[in-house]
Amino acid sequence: MRISRSNVSTEINKTGSWRFVRPGYDEKTAPCSNACPVGQDIARIEMLMGQGMFPAAWETILRENPFPAVCGRVCFHPCERVCNRGEMDSAVGIHHLERFVGDLAIERAYALPHPFYGDEAETDRRATGGKTVAIGGAGPAGLAAAYFLARLGHTCDIYEADSEPGGVLRWGIPWYRLPEDVLKAEISRIVDMGVKIYCQKPITRDFMARAREQYDAVFLGCGYGRSLPLWIPGEEKVLNGLAYLHDIRGGDNTCTGGRAAVIGGGNTAIDVARSLTRLGVEPILVYRRRRQDMPAFDHEVEMALAEGVQLMPLVAPVRIDGGDGGMVLTLQRMRTTRMETAGGRCRVEPDGDRTETLMVDQVYSAIGAEPGENWLFPPEHQPGQLRMSHCILWEHPDARLPVVFGGDLTTPVKSVTDAVASGKQAAMALDTRFRHGGKAIPERLGACRVGDGTALSMEIYLSGRRKTRNPAIVPFSALNTDYFAPAERQAPPVLSPETRCGSFEEVEGAYGRDAAVQEASRCFNCGICNDCDNCRLFCPEVAIYIDGTRCINLDYCKGCGICVVECPRNAMTLEEEAS
Amino acid sequence: MEEIRFHGRGGQGTVVASIILAKAFFKAGYYVQTFPVFGVERRGAPVEAYLRLDHQKIRVRSNIYTPDHVLVQDTKLLATVDVTRGLKPGGWILLNAAALPDAEAFPGFRVAAVDAARIAVAHRLGTRTHPMINTAMVGAFARILEAPPMAALEEAIRQEVPVKQEENVAAAKDAYMEVRVPGQENRQGKTYEG
Amino acid sequence: MKEVVEGSHAVSEAVRLARVQVMSAYPITPQTHIVEALSEYCADGRMAARFICVESEHSAMAAVIGAASGGVRTFTATSSHGLALMHELLHWASAARLPIVMAEVNRALGPGWNIWMDQTDSLAQRDTGWIQLYCEDGQEVLDTTLLAFRLAESASLPVMVVLDAFFLSHTYEPVDIPDQASVDRFLPAFQPRIQLDTQDPFALSQMAPPGCYMEMRHDIEAGMRRIPEHYTAAEEAFASVFGRRYGMLEAYRCEDADIILAMAGTAVSTSRQVVDDLRERGEKVGVLKLRMFRPFPAALLASLAGDARKIAVLDRNFCFGVGGIFAQEIRAALYLMDSRPPVYSYIAGLGGRDVTPETIEEIYVRTKQSERPAPESVWIGLDPAACPVCRTD
Repeated sequence: MRISRSNVSTEINKTGSWRFVRPGYDEKTAPCSNACPVGQDIARIEMLMGQGMFPAAWETILRENPFPAVCGRVCFHPCERVCNRGEMDSAVGIHHLERFVGDLAIERAYALPHPFYGDEAETDRRATGGKTVAIGGAGPAGLAAAYFLARLGHTCDIYEADSEPGGVLRWGIPWYRLPEDVLKAEISRIVDMGVKIYCQKPITRDFMARAREQYDAVFLGCGYGRSLPLWIPGEEKVLNGLAYLHDIRGGDNTCTGGRAAVIGGGNTAIDVARSLTRLGVEPILVYRRRRQDMPAFDHEVEMALAEGVQLMPLVAPVRIDGGDGGMVLTLQRMRTTRMETAGGRCRVEPDGDRTETLMVDQVYSAIGAEPGENWLFPPEHQPGQLRMSHCILWEHPDARLPVVFGGDLTTPVKSVTDAVASGKQAAMALDTRFRHGGKAIPERLGACRVGDGTALSMEIYLSGRRKTRNPAIVPFSALNTDYFAPAERQAPPVLSPETRCGSFEEVEGAYGRDAAVQEASRCFNCGICNDCDNCRLFCPEVAIYIDGTRCINLDYCKGCGICVVECPRNAMTLEEEAS
Repeated sequence: MEEIRFHGRGGQGTVVASIILAKAFFKAGYYVQTFPVFGVERRGAPVEAYLRLDHQKIRVRSNIYTPDHVLVQDTKLLATVDVTRGLKPGGWILLNAAALPDAEAFPGFRVAAVDAARIAVAHRLGTRTHPMINTAMVGAFARILEAPPMAALEEAIRQEVPVKQEENVAAAKDAYMEVRVPGQENRQGKTYEG
Repeated sequence: MKEVVEGSHAVSEAVRLARVQVMSAYPITPQTHIVEALSEYCADGRMAARFICVESEHSAMAAVIGAASGGVRTFTATSSHGLALMHELLHWASAARLPIVMAEVNRALGPGWNIWMDQTDSLAQRDTGWIQLYCEDGQEVLDTTLLAFRLAESASLPVMVVLDAFFLSHTYEPVDIPDQASVDRFLPAFQPRIQLDTQDPFALSQMAPPGCYMEMRHDIEAGMRRIPEHYTAAEEAFASVFGRRYGMLEAYRCEDADIILAMAGTAVSTSRQVVDDLRERGEKVGVLKLRMFRPFPAALLASLAGDARKIAVLDRNFCFGVGGIFAQEIRAALYLMDSRPPVYSYIAGLGGRDVTPETIEEIYVRTKQSERPAPESVWIGLDPAACPVCRTD
């Protein structure tokens, strides 16, 4: 009987010799990580969250950012704007997830991972030879610098001008966005690492002159604490928005009801307006451009409008008259021009001499801020500077030690997460300078870039697993979306506008555990392997096997590329064979 | 060879009636052959089934066109179906009816009637709107044909009916007793032999 | 023991008694009763078998091919469109020399949608390398199914047991259902010639390049040529246990017949009655029962019917552009014979149309009265008034 039957294994046929392209495991960078100022490994964080591995997810955040519970609330989440999932249905709720796991870590008192970066030898090596660094300002930049420097084996003392640490987080952001206990919990974690915080001790010029006696370097992250002046007649009657927020969080309420004008279109203006509604005042936002041009986060603007804040766009204050019995705000009508600012906002110009008046009881100004003292500005045109994306390192000629300017002083975007990024960059720069000299900084830090942006990864700096990650960013078109079914984005509970106006209770609720897992499962995990095993299962030559990790037997891999095509998340790449 | 045609509606157990009768005749020593006329299988639609009986192997396997007797499970079918189609003169027409039709209704044939619906309801077979009348019908049919014997019929019913076997047997026996033929208006109370 | 059973259940009973180990099927009228009973036997433990539920007939055949390659006794059943859907896999089964047994209930192909008796479905599979055996009553269905396993396993070729829709599949009649011990004596446990083994792996049904494909085809044909030998041996064994035999063809009252009526399926049974009736009226007529269609027993046909003056073939099937399929086969089989009676081709009973004693008698009378066969098949019982609404001319 003749039948087609073979007793010989197909192993004799080394199909690998047919190959002219070679597949390989090539983890890439997700667009969200690239957009994140601190370069969090979001694709992996969501993968772990989706598997319910919350402590591991939290540890992954902590490698790059000491403040998950804070940033989950206050970061403007540029990650979600570029989320590939947004091209299919809607972006993953990354900030909700970060907040969920940040809160969980506080509630369950998760311990910091040890060794921090999975490399015991690195930790041991760093046990000796640590330096001492003075840090000016206990805001997000200073705290982050201290956190990362401590992680790298250095000793840090933080000098804070105010009565409690936190900077803008403590004094500038209202409770309804960031409850105090959340902030305290995340700061206390840094204190527990051995960082000392001296409050009501601002860094002074005298201190700088003597710093060298005690310290090997200084980090200045004092923030923008002073509001910019309006430069209009009657300015003296205007209340300082930032100071007002500071007072509220300090427990003082200076407002007296009635109507208030809030001048500005940024987040501080919105925070002031929303705080006023909670205190029984009717706020009117006075802004010189249009609503879509407001630098405040759109979500915050919407919340403010829902809470009854009124918006007067395209008007600029020209003078303020009157006194205690009420104020008259004279406003110049503005009109748009065809020009745009570099940031894409429209330019405006006075609309002839059209003016109008607004009767209010108080006027608050929130048009921007600057550092409390001029000497804190980083030097211009001075030798010995290394300008980086988020901070400037200056070999201070008088103090004769390296000084790093960070936080609002140097960040391209004045945001909490950018401040954290500057603290991290400063820590990496100083650590490199201490160990390898200042000249090594550009190259060593350049090697730690996440994707093609400015964010740096501490995990990469410490040769963690992420070091092998390809900086190439995964576009939506590179994903195999056949493997992803549409799924609604999970929405956390939100207080109704009526409830909100009555108190400073936190407005946005948190995901429950199930919602968190469900939402994290929506993540495509762009560019990283989640062990779906498609590559191995689809390989027609059975050339992929698992030996601890997935391996490709190149004797048989014929380079068909099916594994690469079937990888849902572009964690593999096909490369031409070197001839 | 005798040929019997069953008329009924989908869901009335017409095919089962033909199988019960076939099995009973087989137990009584006959060679049998029964099959349904398959059309669109739908509850309530008119259905037919055929039964052939002989004392030797039946070789003809075509449909039945000239039956010796017919069994009609629903008299409402009389309006749309000619149940006498091809029926041999003198053949029996067994109707599921409370009363016998007019004497002139089926000239040239013998007519019998049994109130199978009432009997079935009395034995809780099926529901009031859809009583399962097939076992009563075969019981009555066994009486008018004088075959198969009730013992064989009982055995066949027990074998073929999946539930309420005893109630079905009792219904067949009641129908056997109660079936009416012209001139014998009420046979109730008489005993049956078998 | 003799019991009144449905033709479909005669198949199911045979499969149960054959101790089939793996079955797979997809329901289709009028085959459904066969596998319905078998799935119940599996569920209630009366059979120690696996019933693999699948989503199509194509998959059903694929599943039994897989099981048969694993060296177990397998069975499936189908009908009409289901068989058409299996077509590709029928080739796989035979060329892999797997002894699969399938019950095939002859049903018409649509459209117009028709669930009734018609032989075109099975005859359209004549080139797939399957043995085909046609049955005329319930007893023969049961016996042939048992025989099919022994034949398939001795010849390493699959067997199709064919039965008429409704006239056989849904007809209850007395059938002698043998006891398990007798069946075990006739049909011992399957000794596979091919058996996949994970401990000693090998590959089946892979590439056969031009250098060996012809030889493999020739080998299947050689296997087909030996079927009469295997069949006869299997029937001998069957007869010694059960006392019944059927032959590849059966000539009923053909010895001195001037006209022989040839056909397959239940019409044979009716024709026996017609022949007896005609004989009583002095007509010299017989019936040739076509039981084995693949391989086609040409020599036996010539020896049984070669002496008749005329052969009239009743085809309940049709090959468009040619005519009745059995008639073609019989003509071809007689072509090389010394004695070749003219073959009259008649088409009747398509799509469930009844074949009555009158139909058969009409065929006899027409054949007797015709000098020579018409060049094309003659359709019996066409009704010009049928389906007026379907006319488009």
